[in-house]
Amino acid sequence: MSENNFNIPSRQSAKGIIVFFGVSVYKVIKGLIIVIAAFFLKYFQSGEALDIYNYKVILSVAAFILYFIIFAILKYLNFKFYINKDYFILKQGIINKEETSISKSKIQNVYIKQNVIQQLINVVSLSIETAGDDKTEIEIKALSKPKAEALKKQLLSGAKVEDNLEKKENIKKSVETTNVYYKASFKKLLLEGISENHLKSLVFVLAFIFGLYNDFKEFIKQFKVTSRFNEYFELDEQALLGLIMFNVTLLILLLITSFLFSLIKTVVQNFNLTVYRKKDGLEISKGLFNKINLGLVSSRIQNTTISTNKFKKALGLYKLSFTQAMVNKKQQLKFNIIGLNKTQINELINEFYSGVYTSIQKYKPNRYFILKEIMVNIFLLLLINIPIIFAPPLVFLINIPLVILFAANTLYAYKKAYYSIDNKYIVVGTGKLIETHTSFLETHKVQAVKIKQTIFQKKRKLATVKVYSASKAITIPHIELNIARDIKNFLLYKVESEDRDWM
Amino acid sequence: MFSNSQIDIETLPKVEALELKPIAKKYFTIIVINLVILYGIIIAVLSAVKYFTKKEGFHSIYWYLVAGVLIVFLAQFILYKLGFKKRKYALREKDITYSHGYLNNSSTTLPFNRIQHLEISRSFLARKFGLSTLKIFSAGESGGDLSISGLPKEVADSQYAFLTNILNERE
Repeated sequence: MSENNFNIPSRQSAKGIIVFFGVSVYKVIKGLIIVIAAFFLKYFQSGEALDIYNYKVILSVAAFILYFIIFAILKYLNFKFYINKDYFILKQGIINKEETSISKSKIQNVYIKQNVIQQLINVVSLSIETAGDDKTEIEIKALSKPKAEALKKQLLSGAKVEDNLEKKENIKKSVETTNVYYKASFKKLLLEGISENHLKSLVFVLAFIFGLYNDFKEFIKQFKVTSRFNEYFELDEQALLGLIMFNVTLLILLLITSFLFSLIKTVVQNFNLTVYRKKDGLEISKGLFNKINLGLVSSRIQNTTISTNKFKKALGLYKLSFTQAMVNKKQQLKFNIIGLNKTQINELINEFYSGVYTSIQKYKPNRYFILKEIMVNIFLLLLINIPIIFAPPLVFLINIPLVILFAANTLYAYKKAYYSIDNKYIVVGTGKLIETHTSFLETHKVQAVKIKQTIFQKKRKLATVKVYSASKAITIPHIELNIARDIKNFLLYKVESEDRDWM
Repeated sequence: MFSNSQIDIETLPKVEALELKPIAKKYFTIIVINLVILYGIIIAVLSAVKYFTKKEGFHSIYWYLVAGVLIVFLAQFILYKLGFKKRKYALREKDITYSHGYLNNSSTTLPFNRIQHLEISRSFLARKFGLSTLKIFSAGESGGDLSISGLPKEVADSQYAFLTNILNERE
């Protein structure tokens, strides 16, 4: 225990120096990548061999590295943390000293993560998230795994439930009774990756290429890429054919890239996805390059969403995503388990929302839902058609698949939309042609209720209800105004009369 | 103690029966001043460009641009005028409601036991008119927060004190 005594100020593992060093070098390289690339390009163009052994080059590189090493050591020496009664205290800063203290009761989540450097030198990072403002997020970058686990346990032991003996015992028990609930096989990850929404990746890949193009515009100009292409396609009789071939190849290349992108992304992010079951919730661990350990306390879960799409459903693949209060957006995206089958989904949902399936009574939104979707789609079509006016008439044919797609989307969006509210749970179903989502929220976790009414809805005596929780809002669209009011009154009554703990 | 008696929705307190209070009429003057300043700057920039540029193209469309800006100004003015009457708020024993918006009216109710913190802010103009903005924050970033502009300073202060009192009692 002497090693894990957190009451006296202690530094992190000495390996932290390596992490600090690695992180700052990575940041500099990332920031200067274009400058470095430009530097090399200039050398190549000038035709001279790069003289690496020039003493000036060696000296400046050495100075840089030395600077970072000293910086990392100083940062390490000045980084101390300890627990004083109910407070976690962190002192850091080389010149500007900074002291942060956090009440244990304010701690919302504690994560243990590992990036590539940390995996290599066998340390973990521990970050603490607090209620209140999101600026006070704290990260300790290098701890040995057992020490991190011990610190996590101590930090969470005082969190909120201290006066609740029963819960405290639960936490103790939960540490002992951790068992693997689910482990995603590599095959499942591959299937998940293959059935991803590749259009989303396409947008991402396109944005990336445009970004790259903007950065390297000057270089591309220097390489005279365009003029070379022009020469290539200048054969008159074959020009059109060549252009079409070029575009088709480009499109196929883009599609393959985005397919590979979503496949690799899914596999890398969820590599070795393992879900442990604990008495008070779940623990998710996953990731290839960035290993991450996420604790999920069932009482802090805000919304839960089941997502699938047509292909995944056929393969029996479902995704479960959770949101917790006060978790930042980036972290929020990681709180999900993919590759679950129907039975596992039902089991987990029943664990967090016991008996919800038997109490679901589906109500549909008003048919105005369809009308509104049609209006929005017509507007979109008009927008798309404005630039087409100047294009050859053949391009107008693009409207045919678009109209079919929009119509199918609208139809399925209405078909998949429903809501259900009972004493304990709100369940809302949404979807489009391909995808389907089901969201769950406990009524006592509601934060605020909003009734929205546009002037078009007003004429039809309809309204949209938005139910806010501490993390994400749930929308019940286009229902009768009096029902919307009943829902609002009911939810407010639940929240105000029970005064239960909701975070 | 667990209770799970059936709830008769008809007997629940009704939020629609609330008598909402309008905000201070003076606040509309502030809205108008802000609008005039905003569009004044846009027109001033356009005029400055006209003065300095020698391009014929710009001179020929200058008046169309100004007319366009004025139309947008007028439209926004009318919307604000219509929407101003919709800016209302009310307190109940256990929650606070704020409703606003003409084209897209929304009415948000935030229970007191979900309030995280409170804030009063006063812009330069608001200080001149003796008005305040009361901001009420709930947890998370999901947007269920309320921001009531154009409250008379005394009203805002007393609400603030009242709500702070409730927050402190809760702890």
